[in-house]
Amino acid sequence: MTDMSDTGMSDIAAGQRVLNEAAPKMIARDVDVFYGDKKAIDNVSIDIALENVTAFIGPSGCGKSTFLRALNRMNDTIASARVTGKIELDGEDIYSSGMDVVQLRARVGMVFQKPNPFPKSIYENVAYGPRIHGLASGKADMDQIVEKSLKRAGLWEEVKDRLAESGTALSGGQQQRLCIARAIAVDPEVILMDEPCSALDPIATAKIEELIHELRGRYAIVIVTHNMQQAARVSQRTAFFHLGNLVEYGDTSEIFTNPRATRTKDYITGRYG
Amino acid sequence: MTNTTHAEPRRTPTNWNDQAMQERIRGRYASERRFRLLGLFAVLLSAGFLAFLLVTMAANGARGFTQTEVRVEVDFAKSALFIDPAALEGFGADAALAGADIDGAVQTAVRAQYGESADGLLSDAAWLRVRDAILEDPALLNRSETFWLPARSGLDQAAKSDGSAADEQIYRQLDDQDSVRTGFNLGFLTGADATDPTVVGIWGAFKGSLFTMLVTLALAFPIGVLSAIYLEEYAPRNRWTDLIEVSINNLAAVPSIIFGLLGLAVFLNFMHLPRSAPLVGGITLALMTMPVIVIAGRNAIKSVPPSIRDAALGVGASRVQVVFHHVLPLALPGILTGTIIGMARALGETAPLLMIGMRAFIASPPGGFTEPATVLPVQIFLWSDEVSRGFVEKTSAAIIVLLAFLLAMNGLAIYLRNKFERRW
Repeated sequence: MTDMSDTGMSDIAAGQRVLNEAAPKMIARDVDVFYGDKKAIDNVSIDIALENVTAFIGPSGCGKSTFLRALNRMNDTIASARVTGKIELDGEDIYSSGMDVVQLRARVGMVFQKPNPFPKSIYENVAYGPRIHGLASGKADMDQIVEKSLKRAGLWEEVKDRLAESGTALSGGQQQRLCIARAIAVDPEVILMDEPCSALDPIATAKIEELIHELRGRYAIVIVTHNMQQAARVSQRTAFFHLGNLVEYGDTSEIFTNPRATRTKDYITGRYG
Repeated sequence: MTNTTHAEPRRTPTNWNDQAMQERIRGRYASERRFRLLGLFAVLLSAGFLAFLLVTMAANGARGFTQTEVRVEVDFAKSALFIDPAALEGFGADAALAGADIDGAVQTAVRAQYGESADGLLSDAAWLRVRDAILEDPALLNRSETFWLPARSGLDQAAKSDGSAADEQIYRQLDDQDSVRTGFNLGFLTGADATDPTVVGIWGAFKGSLFTMLVTLALAFPIGVLSAIYLEEYAPRNRWTDLIEVSINNLAAVPSIIFGLLGLAVFLNFMHLPRSAPLVGGITLALMTMPVIVIAGRNAIKSVPPSIRDAALGVGASRVQVVFHHVLPLALPGILTGTIIGMARALGETAPLLMIGMRAFIASPPGGFTEPATVLPVQIFLWSDEVSRGFVEKTSAAIIVLLAFLLAMNGLAIYLRNKFERRW
């Protein structure tokens, strides 16, 4: 911490800038993530607000995806990963021993970088989550959940006549919307999206962005993106990560028009990244 | 930038029509052709070997499935044979027939029909067929009946133009009288081992193989698949799991005779399980097959993309649900292929079974998992060791049965693989 002007305290000060007044859904305090001995996330504190889209931006390898995966404990699957600090969902510590990780992941859903539908039918893809959690009370109820989820993901009109076909037979953009439908079928409170458009063409990307807009009112959405225009388009808040630090966090309009930290400014003006 | 290009000598453009360049291109195409021909040659050579093997086996083995029979008319009413019809009812029947000299009656009938010198026409076990007929229908004892009885091995060979000159002459004489016929040998498919090649059957060994394979599959498949799942999905990566992995890989390469010794020492001497039984053979072969299934299973599980696991975990599936709903179904075709390869190896295995006593002479098909039995490859080994000429074709026929069994298993594997792959 020699360079106090650009890291450390000044960043935390930047992170505490007044944001629009929305209730925090998730709170992270002093979170470190280690891969073995390597520290991938260094002392990150952040509030994820309800009914908002929060974008994590930053250059490759800055830890934004790692931090995202810490939010629903997907890092648990990596043997060497270790998380310290506190992450709360509605005031409940998600890393406490009392937290059921299966339930947590149902409440904090996830959409991945590469569309990864199950190699099963479209219907089964969406119905899988509700089925394992016992959310549907019968065939008719399940049909309804599937239809509602697909409609919300904007995919219903395209697939309603071929629900029995394999989910992997859809186009890339449709697959990603299917994955979103699958995530919202279990009725989550937070949706984490890890670069959901990086494998898609511009038209499919536009559809996903539109969908994020529509979903915003219902869920807290966190989206990791490399694409700064995308962050500016879809998010209300933006967090800039660099080398495992949260450099700056604030309203998207503020971050893009008036960045406080030099590193943020350099990044969004394309000086590096 | 322009200065530096001027400083260096200008590079002459590549002349693709240059003599040396053309040579090089021709050489490249020639080496490609050579390589392709070499590959084709290798394939043709292996196909040739396979064809040679199959043709030889089929030619020799086909004769093993046929049997020469001699017509014999036995007049029970006139013969010295006396059996109390009442004794043939119920449990005493076998004893009553064993006591009666049926063999003698048949010999007498043969002599009456073909002359005094005709003693050696029939197989030593020919009278058994007469006995079975009587057992089936006791009323025979009051009349005369025509039987087709198995000819002695030499005559059988002669019928297949492979016998001695004397036998061939006898055969021709009989043939002129229409007293011999050569037909499909059903007894070979329904009988068990015997000392006389004319009456041996493969069913005993086949059943032994079947029982042994069932035990092997029932043990090796679940244990192997569960080990593979645990090692791939649950086990932490540390020195112990590394050690286990190396051990399993080594186990797959251990010579099979060692497994036989292990079976002998542990299952027979220590645990006192029945000797020569399919149960012990199956357990021993399961030990041998398990590492193969574990290795194939781990590879199949490893090849399931991690994104599928992420997807399932992401909607809140537990580890067990991820494994059983997603990973295992996707890995199943690979696991099944590995299992069948392991089972096929076990089916053809001889050495470990010799060690645990499955090479005994077993004259009746096994009735259960703990009864003495032998298996197809051991039966082939035993028959190939026999002196009598008649066993040569029986050995080939047994090989054909073994290969058919193997083909059926592989066919099942391919069917299952396609069936499960189509679902995804």
